[in-house]
Amino acid sequence: MGKTFAEKALGRAAGQDVVANQVVTVEPDWCMSHDNAAPIARTFKKIGVKNVWKPERIVFILDHAIPAPSSDHAVNHKEVREFSAEQGIKNFYDVMSDGGVCHQKMCEEGYALPGLIMVGSDSHTCTYGAYGAFSTGIGRSEMAAAWATGSIWFKVPESMKVVVTGKFKPGVTAKDFILKFIGDVKADGADYMSVEFHGEGIENMSIAERMTLCNMGIEFGAKNAVCKPDQKVLDAIKDNAKCDRWEPLWADDDAVYAAEYHYDLGDIVPGVAKPHKVDNYATVAEVKGTPIHEAFLGSCTNGRIEDLREAASLLKGKKIAIRTVVIPASWKVYRQAMKEGLIDIFLDSGCVICNPGCGPCMGNHEGILAPGEAAISTANRNFKGRMGDKESFIYLASPLTVAASALKGEITDPREVL
Amino acid sequence: MSEVLRGRAWVFGDDVDTDLIYHNKYLAETDPKNMPQYAFEYFPGKEHFAKEVKPGDFVVAGKNFGCGSSREHAVYCIEYAGVPVVLAETCSRIYYRNAINNGYPVLFIKGISDAIKAGKIKDGDELEVSLDTGNIKDLTTGAEFHGDAVSDLEKDIMSAGGLIEYLKEQAAKK
Amino acid sequence: MGKTSIVKIMERASGKPVKVGDRVWCNIDWSTARDFGGANCVLQFEKEMGMEAKVWDPDKIAFTFDLQAPAHSEKVAVNQKIIRDFAKRQGIKRVFDINHGIGQHVMLEAGMIKPGDVVLGTDSHMNLLGAVGSFATGVGNSDIAASWINGTNWFRVPETMKIEVTGKFQKGVTMRDLLTKIVGDLGAGGMDFLAVEFTGETIENATLAERITLCSMVTEMSGKVPLIMPNGEVLKWMVERAGPVVAERAKEFAADPDAEYITVLKYDVTNLEPLASCPDAPDNVKPVREIAGTYVDQIHIGSCSNGRFEDIEAAFEVFKAAGCKVNPNVRVIITPSTREVQIQATKAGMVEKFLEAGVVFTNPTCSLCTAEHYGVLPSGDVGCSTTNRNFIGKVGKGSHTYLMSPMSAMATAVKGVITDPRDILG
Repeated sequence: MGKTFAEKALGRAAGQDVVANQVVTVEPDWCMSHDNAAPIARTFKKIGVKNVWKPERIVFILDHAIPAPSSDHAVNHKEVREFSAEQGIKNFYDVMSDGGVCHQKMCEEGYALPGLIMVGSDSHTCTYGAYGAFSTGIGRSEMAAAWATGSIWFKVPESMKVVVTGKFKPGVTAKDFILKFIGDVKADGADYMSVEFHGEGIENMSIAERMTLCNMGIEFGAKNAVCKPDQKVLDAIKDNAKCDRWEPLWADDDAVYAAEYHYDLGDIVPGVAKPHKVDNYATVAEVKGTPIHEAFLGSCTNGRIEDLREAASLLKGKKIAIRTVVIPASWKVYRQAMKEGLIDIFLDSGCVICNPGCGPCMGNHEGILAPGEAAISTANRNFKGRMGDKESFIYLASPLTVAASALKGEITDPREVL
Repeated sequence: MSEVLRGRAWVFGDDVDTDLIYHNKYLAETDPKNMPQYAFEYFPGKEHFAKEVKPGDFVVAGKNFGCGSSREHAVYCIEYAGVPVVLAETCSRIYYRNAINNGYPVLFIKGISDAIKAGKIKDGDELEVSLDTGNIKDLTTGAEFHGDAVSDLEKDIMSAGGLIEYLKEQAAKK
Repeated sequence: MGKTSIVKIMERASGKPVKVGDRVWCNIDWSTARDFGGANCVLQFEKEMGMEAKVWDPDKIAFTFDLQAPAHSEKVAVNQKIIRDFAKRQGIKRVFDINHGIGQHVMLEAGMIKPGDVVLGTDSHMNLLGAVGSFATGVGNSDIAASWINGTNWFRVPETMKIEVTGKFQKGVTMRDLLTKIVGDLGAGGMDFLAVEFTGETIENATLAERITLCSMVTEMSGKVPLIMPNGEVLKWMVERAGPVVAERAKEFAADPDAEYITVLKYDVTNLEPLASCPDAPDNVKPVREIAGTYVDQIHIGSCSNGRFEDIEAAFEVFKAAGCKVNPNVRVIITPSTREVQIQATKAGMVEKFLEAGVVFTNPTCSLCTAEHYGVLPSGDVGCSTTNRNFIGKVGKGSHTYLMSPMSAMATAVKGVITDPRDILG
């Protein structure tokens, strides 16, 4: 009987043959933390171990509130600086312009690699599945323990297979697909499972699009989400892989799955997740005309150069009707956007370009909502009050739908603007 | 304003800026009643002001009190703490306007900056203040001070209860 | 005997002859508020006058968003919404939302400000608009709310100080250094309640950015308003934006040659050197040379004092001379004052070079200068900034800040310790 991706990746790491539901202990290839490295460091110190197990396996990326917008954040950042210096953690991306959103950085800096076991103290760590890694979010205590011991236990998850065929019609993107999918399987649809995206529909996608899919794995309960590490991935990591521990792994054709779904991308239309649940799906046609107060283009879900290009293609030469915050996912993306003239397009159309980071995604800064206000956002969560007041509303959508809506001040189908 | 007030002194030096009185961290507050809890939080040695100030206590300061920002919070956080008057050698022009505009008295007291430096008026001293004459007596040290007279326009605004009340009165007269 | 500029301005605004020391009611040309204090103005106006009350003239009111743009907290988000909703109800069209930048600069670029105008704003540095000859002044929310009732407010006609400036700056020395020099000489109370006219060849040849810088710290010396009448290139720029009336006004409100001044000070900038305001007061001034080598954690270039294109350009000059690199041990943040400046700096290719070097380039706002925003310092950190205040704890409890010119700040960014820009420029 064949093996799933999860069985192969965890088996490789554990050095033994494993099957679903077995518990294994493995050494993580990378442990990533963002601003919460500070509280984790405090927990770590309580454990009583002097040094982290392997400083070179730990990565710190400040992104949640940068540069510090408050004294509390400033003190937090300082603790991270001091801890990384003290422990010799050199993979540290401070608030300076070599940084960005942690998941974007992990991918563009060459940490995300096929077959690696990657844990992060952030739920969207599952993003790295786009590079064929087994990556998952863990809690702060568990991260402190991982730093101390260099090991972490997993129950080998059962797997879900999502087979994707066909091609998107114009104006439709990977975000529209994943929102529709989550609407179908619901927020707990893949609880504890490893989700594998298969099929020519995925093969035709860019790595950026695959990141959008895997990033939102956690929104339907997945432990991890993964795409096959094909030639596109191998080309992307060829020159900047941060280690040589990687190995392309993929599920066998006869692997056993707990669930299987089939989608044709040609059937997908622009969609949104309505307040206040990610699985509260509607087509844009159904919510068209809903008044919006703020548009947000960015985040680890959709803040990449491909996303900015799409949004800019709609905004070029036009003026936005509502306040629109654009936050490239990293400074590298920002610089690329500048080279391509996209920053000029956004500024000329009246957008605010903030420095890369998580921005308003989890309500830290750069565009908090007041009561009664509604936002349309390319981020990944629309929970009640996530971007500000508990009486505010968030619609999740693709960069194209967000840009089209920014132009009109109401939810707008991008195909009408294209 | 003819009464004589008695209370404890909280003594500050020269150039007390608006961030020391009411830090920018709390600028988003719009309800004056919530502002006293942050008063002088950033003033080294006076962090306990907000907790320990009692209605009737006085704020005593040297030159240029309230320099810096235009934030009216810096007046409200003292006024709403129950401090009946600020006694200072001088205060910044925006701070002065903000006080007058709320019908809140700031008395300019000659020589008080030097007196503070010389220890002739200290934290916790019992003061007797006549808002009418501007005379101040430190009952603990025996020192006496005299305030400047206020101009007629400011007096009128003060006695109306503030600028908006004053404008309403003027409009009613017409 | 002749009249000073401020006497002429107040005579126009009050519609009658005035003399120094009078309390006069002036007609207001612009009554503005920011997302800082603006919501307080709205709530106070509505509480006192009723929800149905109309402002005296919606076309003379403007709102700017620069304290925390985009909003960093729910409270600020609510305050901004209060302002937007009020503007909509009152028919106030000039709402410069979060995508514009620092209030005074934005209004200046929008061509709203003319010499002789009386401008109120909830910003203690509002008076830097005196750089184009207007009587602009920072006030609290009561003053703003009251002015919305009938468009007037009271002022005392101030005495005027005159500062004549001659000479040319040496390489590496800028208007900010002259300003720092004046702040150090006069101290925190040195311009108590005065109007200040800046004149002389150095001023006449100064760019708008330089004039703004020079006028931006009169508040730190307790002055009421600085005044410079537009001429030359500045006048041309103003006429393009605000119309030909600027030229007439510049003449009308220029001080008479025989006007009376309470003090006349003279400065020659020829031998001026880079200066800094040391912790924790703007008037604690020392030569940069003297404090060179002091370790800093963060450098911030921006603010209403030094956030114009020319300021960023000056910083870039030093940056370029150092091979377009900054020291990796310091955090460097540049904040343009407006979107126009951001676009200019982007199109000039400077932003790209800064970003390659690790500099953080933010959207236009007051940034860390006003309130909790980009770059708050943790306790024990030392900052270096082109803003205008370094009061203790202002940008974070237990932190300390040195104020200096964009050139000195960038020289410090390059070396990681306080550095005289002349050491880099050669």
